[in-house]
Amino acid sequence: MAAVGEPDVDLDAHTDVWVFIEQHDGEVAAVSWELLGKGRDLADQKGEDLVALVLGEDLEESGIPDEAIDRGADRVLVADDPVFAPYRADAYGQQFRHLVEQRKPDIVLIGGTHTGRDFAGRVAVPTHAGLTADTTELEITPDQYEMRRPAFGGDALATIICPNHRPQMSTVRPGVFDEPSRGDGDGAIEQVEVVVEENDTKSEVLEREVGDVADITDAEVIVAGGMGVEGEFGPLERLAELLDAELAGTRDAVEAGWIDPARQVGQTGKTVRPKLYVAVGISGAIQHVEGMDDSETVIAINNDPNAPIFENADYGIVGDCDEVLPQLIEALERQEVAA
Amino acid sequence: MDENGTDGWNIVVCVKQVPDAADVSIDPDTGRLNRSDAEAVMNDPDYNSVEAALELREQVGGTVTALCMGPPNAEEVLAEAVAMGADDGVLMTDRAFGGSDTWPTSLALASGAAELDADVVLAGEETTDSSTGQVPPGIAAHNEWAQLTYVEELEPDPENDRLIARRDIEGGYERVAADLPVSVAMSYGENVPRTAGLHRKIYAETEFDPEEWSAEKLGIEDEVGLAVSPTQVGGMDTAEPVPREQETVDSADELADRIAEVL
Ligand SMILES: Cc1cc2nc3c(=O)[nH]c(=O)nc-3n(C[C@H](O)[C@H](O)[C@H](O)COP(=O)(O)OP(=O)(O)OC[C@H]3O[C@@H](n4cnc5c(N)ncnc54)[C@H](O)[C@@H]3O)c2cc1C
Repeated sequence: MAAVGEPDVDLDAHTDVWVFIEQHDGEVAAVSWELLGKGRDLADQKGEDLVALVLGEDLEESGIPDEAIDRGADRVLVADDPVFAPYRADAYGQQFRHLVEQRKPDIVLIGGTHTGRDFAGRVAVPTHAGLTADTTELEITPDQYEMRRPAFGGDALATIICPNHRPQMSTVRPGVFDEPSRGDGDGAIEQVEVVVEENDTKSEVLEREVGDVADITDAEVIVAGGMGVEGEFGPLERLAELLDAELAGTRDAVEAGWIDPARQVGQTGKTVRPKLYVAVGISGAIQHVEGMDDSETVIAINNDPNAPIFENADYGIVGDCDEVLPQLIEALERQEVAA
Repeated sequence: MDENGTDGWNIVVCVKQVPDAADVSIDPDTGRLNRSDAEAVMNDPDYNSVEAALELREQVGGTVTALCMGPPNAEEVLAEAVAMGADDGVLMTDRAFGGSDTWPTSLALASGAAELDADVVLAGEETTDSSTGQVPPGIAAHNEWAQLTYVEELEPDPENDRLIARRDIEGGYERVAADLPVSVAMSYGENVPRTAGLHRKIYAETEFDPEEWSAEKLGIEDEVGLAVSPTQVGGMDTAEPVPREQETVDSADELADRIAEVL
């Protein structure tokens, strides 16, 4: 007999690993492909299918369903209708929920983007699914499926399990898994019934402005600035140019308006994994370090010898960035000339 | 006039009491969190939602009610919201809520907001202690309301019973109009929260006494708590610090050499 609160869920009726392929105007969010790669692993371990879901308008022309197959999906479910463009939480939530109730997936992966984190709850709540936000590790152990996520600003890693509910959903941070390369897949594409009516929607997109989105999650080298830079990003740009690097910043630097929000590194920003991360005038708050801790080598420039960033750096120099940066740029220019 | 035939909107703002993030430490021996010595404070991003709620009231009229689910002493964060300018506060406190994950938590807040006949329910982007960001969409989902998350700016449209928001999206922004009632998550740091006025502060400290609601009062006693939470914490590990050289160099030249070695 089920204990109090245990739902009457037939756990075995739920199979397959689903990955949501997020696209806007035909552009796929990189994290979706990363999840397809991870989803392939999980599906193989379970001996089940990997299913990709794409919602939007004119999807066939976009080539996205084919690409999902070429990147590892066994099946692609396509809901193609103007009601899904542009994205809206209520329309996406309703359609996705319908598919989940109808087809009963076991595991569902959604990118931890604003879009993914916006509508995931609209699927998980009505289906009474378990939803773990912002996961960074996913693992099938002999006993159960384990989702791990940072807690307390990254000081701890919590393991989340979902013993009695299905599906086991999570939003997953961009940049933590590798993108699978494109091969030749032989999966099936299926158009599904669209259950959303424009009349039933509760919201309307009045305007949408998207520029060229910087993707710092893929960068090999990153030069990042914090409050210590005091708005002077010029020298950082020069350094970035020399090192063929992407610029990034802390949340406080973003809030000060010095750098684009898409370039924020940290708990509420991006997770980056460059070969080299140069942190200039950054204190090293845990919420920031959480996003850059996967960097291979970290270099810190800070005038406070006690700044926590030095504990998270391989090489550090204690000094005013107004002095150190020009010297460093000069030294690198000299080396380049020498080389 | 809104659908209730009254002037202005019923604005509800959710606030949470959390351990001060700066004080939370991990016991290196047990790997457990030391929360006991952390001061209990209002979740930082909630200051932005309280500010947004008060600005909304200034624009459309109506009332702002702060809503909190938590232990009895969480009334302190309600008092703080009242000191900032909220008209009233309700504390949902009950042992039955204990151990709730985001599913029952958002159910409880959704029920509280519905009980208050909310036109708009606001919350912070996420909490500093669990940072899931799932509760505001969860409230919308439980009540089958519209939602607006990652909100940078609100523009009320009372003639059409709508709330328009400028939302942050990857690489840009969008403006979305949502039908009332709506659940809103304000982006962290998007406005400048006002400081409490002296009069309100004195009122909040001396006279304000929040109404207390139990799970039973909301009719959800069997739908909250650990037992109905779909997710469970299976363990907590101290995040292993990434080993770093932690070497200090003396000159920019040396730094340039290190960079050259790496690249
Ligand atoms: C819920 C939540 C989520 C958050 N998410 C993020 C996130 O995703 N990303 C993030 O970055 N932060 C995040 N934060 C904020 C984080 O806690 C810190 O406040 C922030 O990272 C600090 O930014 P900073 O290092 O630029 O500024 P500060 O902490 O002000 O540090 C500036 C540093 O520059 C040094 N300095 C000053 N002048 C000079 C100079 N002339 N030359 C050299 N060095 C100098 C100082 O010694 C200091 O160490 C979050 C906070 C919360 C509560």
